[in-house]
Amino acid sequence: MSGKVLTITSGKGGVGKSTTTANLALGLALAGKKAVAIDLDIGLRNLDMILGLENRIVYDVVNVVEKVCKVKQALIKDKRVDNLFLIAAAQTRDKSAVKSEQVLELANELRKEFDYIILDSPAGIEGGFRNAMLPADEVIIVTTPEISAVRDADRVIGILEAHEKKDMSLIINRINPTLVKKGDMMSKNDVLQVLSIPLIGVVPEDGNIVSYTNIGEPSILHQDSPSGKAYKNITQRVLGKDVPFMEIIERKKGIMETIISFFKEQ
Amino acid sequence: MVFNQIMSQVEIKGKNFLGFEISINSDDPKRTLAELESLLAVSSKYMKNSIITLKLDDFNKEYANKVINFLKDKDIYVNAIVVKNKNGLDADIPFIETNKTHLINEEGEKEVSTFKGNLRSGQSIKANGDLVVVGNVNSNSYIYATGNIFVLGKLYGVPHAGYGGNNEAIVFAFDLNPPQIRIGDYITRSPEKNVLLKKRIDVAPEVAFVDDGVIVIIGYNEWLKS
Repeated sequence: MSGKVLTITSGKGGVGKSTTTANLALGLALAGKKAVAIDLDIGLRNLDMILGLENRIVYDVVNVVEKVCKVKQALIKDKRVDNLFLIAAAQTRDKSAVKSEQVLELANELRKEFDYIILDSPAGIEGGFRNAMLPADEVIIVTTPEISAVRDADRVIGILEAHEKKDMSLIINRINPTLVKKGDMMSKNDVLQVLSIPLIGVVPEDGNIVSYTNIGEPSILHQDSPSGKAYKNITQRVLGKDVPFMEIIERKKGIMETIISFFKEQ
Repeated sequence: MVFNQIMSQVEIKGKNFLGFEISINSDDPKRTLAELESLLAVSSKYMKNSIITLKLDDFNKEYANKVINFLKDKDIYVNAIVVKNKNGLDADIPFIETNKTHLINEEGEKEVSTFKGNLRSGQSIKANGDLVVVGNVNSNSYIYATGNIFVLGKLYGVPHAGYGGNNEAIVFAFDLNPPQIRIGDYITRSPEKNVLLKKRIDVAPEVAFVDDGVIVIIGYNEWLKS
């Protein structure tokens, strides 16, 4: 068995790399694949919390590359799905604690055991980002329809093209249909025109993400969540299935809501 | 204040709130004093009312008194001498031996036995023997001690008491709410939910210790009676 390494990156921070990593890893595991998510944001770890596994960390990725423990000891088994594992980042160190070759070696070792290895890259284009890129078979770039995020994504794509990483795809996160309609936000097509790489998913703005993150339950576990639905589709596309893109439309307000919001604006 | 001057023989380093450390790297007293003279011309006014430590090496500790008297003439009083070991040191000033450290610290970690202040995410401290933290230990920080750990505040980070295998050690905190507790060779995990989201009502001091192969937590008053 030789697994596939997916790296999730963005350039800009706060656009949803870790949320995407958590949802995608869970989605792949729910689809029956053996998946491991590795948090490479050393010093500012968050993936463990989004997956709700923060209380279980004993060994982290720095311990693994420094050979303090075996890889098996650092694999944290998910509490909901049997075939999902996490390797957490160290919080007491920084990005210079691991080298690209060590990450590559770790990824290659995990390829033997897992179908999918998902690397959560830190923001920025420095060492940590490079560590996450070296082993990647496929890179998923996450952006939001903000000009700053798109510009940073463009920079990242440029770097990856210069290093001949050809397998790139794009997730546009936090699209707000109301703002797009008003013309205050870039639309899906605007973003695609700038970045011109294949689109693998569009995720609508979801007010519940904050609470899902706080309680450690990614939105893919919630049936009624619009972002969860979008992540389910992305998982299917990663698995090579052809799924139509969901239409992101403005939710129509009821009469009462209209009246209430009218008074609120006064 | 950070004040740092580097020359070949003598180094003066600002040690944040503690004051200054004068470190001597030469075995030639004449050159050392000459260089110290020129350095102090610039910096002595900053140093007069601070805590001064003098760092010496094995090859220059025999002329410690020369340096100390030289500084005294300049109204700078050395408070302590830092050496690898005290043998051969002839001075009646308190000394700190640096080879008496057993735990190997990661970069940026402090070794203390009492720590005043708050530990934030990503910070860690290690202590030989007991560790007293006067302040809060925030979530995602780590504290290690070969002996017992006492936190006079909130403990939301990960404590490891009895580091190295002492299963008799205890962990005490005014608000004991860590994601994990490690004592000696034992480890336990708190119930699900992020520690920051738990509603802490009726907080009382608690003690964690190993009983019959499991880590148990009981109220401080109850523990005193047992």
